[in-house]
Amino acid sequence: MSVTARSLDLAEHPTDAGEAAQFEGIRWSTYFKVILGISVSFFVYRLYLQKYAFSVGLDYFEPEFAVYWMRLLYGQIALASVTLVGVVFYLWQTRDRNLDAITPELELQRYFKWITWLASYTLVVFLTGVLGAESDAAWHQIVIRDTDFTPTHIEIFYMLIPAIIITGVGSFLYARTRLPMHSKKVFVSLAVAIGGPILIMPNVGFNEWGHTFFYAEEVFNAPIHWGFSGLGLALLGLGGVVTHIVSRMKELIDEVATHA
Amino acid sequence: MPQTGGGEEGVRTADQQAATRRRLENTVDMALFAVIVFAVAGATVFVMSVTIGDWEFWADWKDRRYWPLAPVAALLIFPAGLAAAFWSRFRLPVACTAVVLLYSLMRWLSAYFNFHIFGGFPLSFVWPSIFIPLAIIIDCTLVITRSVFLTGLIGAFLWGLLVYPVNWPLLAAFHEPITYNGEMLTAADLLGYEYIRTGLPEYVRVVERTVLRTFGDAVTPLTAVFSGFICTLVFYIAWGAGLVLNRQAWLKKL
Repeated sequence: MSVTARSLDLAEHPTDAGEAAQFEGIRWSTYFKVILGISVSFFVYRLYLQKYAFSVGLDYFEPEFAVYWMRLLYGQIALASVTLVGVVFYLWQTRDRNLDAITPELELQRYFKWITWLASYTLVVFLTGVLGAESDAAWHQIVIRDTDFTPTHIEIFYMLIPAIIITGVGSFLYARTRLPMHSKKVFVSLAVAIGGPILIMPNVGFNEWGHTFFYAEEVFNAPIHWGFSGLGLALLGLGGVVTHIVSRMKELIDEVATHA
Repeated sequence: MPQTGGGEEGVRTADQQAATRRRLENTVDMALFAVIVFAVAGATVFVMSVTIGDWEFWADWKDRRYWPLAPVAALLIFPAGLAAAFWSRFRLPVACTAVVLLYSLMRWLSAYFNFHIFGGFPLSFVWPSIFIPLAIIIDCTLVITRSVFLTGLIGAFLWGLLVYPVNWPLLAAFHEPITYNGEMLTAADLLGYEYIRTGLPEYVRVVERTVLRTFGDAVTPLTAVFSGFICTLVFYIAWGAGLVLNRQAWLKKL
């Protein structure tokens, strides 16, 4: 049976509006748009941080701080909340209700789309780990902590970590609602790789509580930060996710190549 | 040999099937490449940063007692964990080198943009350690011995043992003795005094006391051997963790 003949029946699987009428592999344009969009957004934010962190971000009690940083914080919280609710609502509402009947081509195409979701998730992890966390490390060696709201905290805890939650939840939910293997069971490595970094947000509560009460300065390798370490190590689970993707896609590719 | 593919397009040769298969498999590889790079780089730098970050951030933390021990053992977790996946599933003995190469590139990126451009510290004070040759040793040991046990025993031991000599070309100048206000200290210590950080006095880390602070005693080789021993243990534990997390295990409920 050809791919054309086995074209995706959108009437039976009315999930993503963007799903092609026939198998087309990965959509590189979407893939690169996602990566470029996140990167450019972060770059712009980083320029803002560079310009206003030291000029109007040193003292929480200055009026300029409220204008340049607290307004940004409130905007970020609102945007993150709306985006998270929107993503969850959209993915759930457009879920495939007939997963037992999807063709290998459609499943393969969805795996490619899932990889795009995972690329967005891991890109945010990358930006958080390499540029976000260590800009905070550098900041704390220069400026005495006055409150929990510093420019780098507003960047990492209220922009990057929420972005991890949004893309992580989106990745998990995409698999749950569109991939047959994930619809009835939970893949442990995926749950670990996504759940661990998401738990960084609650751990921020412990971190700030500790810094407020008994540990004002930032020795970065202090035990108070080891909760972050443990949760970061959960990303080792992505090795299992990659292994699963490769093995399942290999099976699907064999079927598609034989029938195409 | 021609094979019947079925359907209205009729016959599809084995060559055509192989070509389709190859094209799709290459697409999967390319799409996953970015995922792996982002995840490994981000996770490794983040975990190192909040576990043993200061030893990697500052030249005056690169002492002879803890720096060859703590960061070296901590960094081994991700390479060994991912090596377990790459070796057991794909027989690819490249994970350690790939992870450490990415880690090193990203640490330099962070040192430049975060500590130099954003924080204003000189690069000569915030350079990251060198680990790439050590990772190559582990991967080569795995290739030659094809044994996880021997790789831990030899490769991981050498990873801990050799960190000091591998970094010596960069580090030597910072351990030159200097007399300052009547006190003897290293050039790295002096840099630490000049670039005061908010964590002072903790950041003035005169960790080597009494006979240890003699510029040439047995501190370094002693630490190196102990570090090798610790790294061997860390390698086995991380390898095991990597195998567990790479099992294709499913739960009925979250």
